[in-house]
Amino acid sequence: MYDWLLFLHLISAFLLGVTVVVYSAVAFGATTDGRTMFMADRCWDVGGLGTLVLGIWLALHLDQYDFFDGWILGAIGLWLVATGLGQSVIRRRAVGETAAIDTMHWLRTLAVIGLLVLMVWKPGA
Amino acid sequence: MTVLAAIRPDDWNLPLFVHILGAMLLVGALALVAGALASRDLRLGFRSLLYGVLPGWVVMRGSAEWIADKEGLNDVDPVPSWVDIGYSVADPSLLLILIATVCTGLAASRQRGDGLRVTALVLVGILLVASVVAIWVMSTKPT
Repeated sequence: MYDWLLFLHLISAFLLGVTVVVYSAVAFGATTDGRTMFMADRCWDVGGLGTLVLGIWLALHLDQYDFFDGWILGAIGLWLVATGLGQSVIRRRAVGETAAIDTMHWLRTLAVIGLLVLMVWKPGA
Repeated sequence: MTVLAAIRPDDWNLPLFVHILGAMLLVGALALVAGALASRDLRLGFRSLLYGVLPGWVVMRGSAEWIADKEGLNDVDPVPSWVDIGYSVADPSLLLILIATVCTGLAASRQRGDGLRVTALVLVGILLVASVVAIWVMSTKPT
């Protein structure tokens, strides 16, 4: 059970990585078609839901972690920030408002890296 | 076993972090290449292979060696099967990445050569499947 939860949690995290890489390519000046951006956004939808649900499931499944551990609450906070920034980027792209999109993307990237730091170091666990 | 899997010495964290970060770059860039090649954007496909997939592989593979050294896994006899499988997936992947890069580069420079594009796309598909296998092996650590 634990192995499958962890595997699917990791696959979800890698889907977040796909979104970050595609948007980074765009931020570096690549021109992509709508299909690629659609794929990147759906990867965030599935990966975001997967990391959150499976992550909480893992925390509840393992005796040594508690849902209210600081690193888990911090990760949920960073997840909310990253998802909010992503939604804002999508909204702005849809109306052709390009200002601050790159900044928001890089902030989301930092939030994802912060999530990975919390998952690996688990401060306070 | 669950507890053992979840707790590790602090000095393993940095190589593990770099390993996962490299793997995420590798997989993310592979997905971008797949999308680019599928929509016949050979220039983006080639650049993503060159600046995303290849560096991602180097970081992932280099840090795999780093963490294996920290954990003393290479000195264990026999080497755990999940480590063996990881190497067996990662090392041939470099060859496939190089072939896909050459195919995409040639197709981009000729502005035609659909066969080369399709070949690269198939290789990238194989690499993505291999990545999922590697993630499964690294997370479940089968013996």
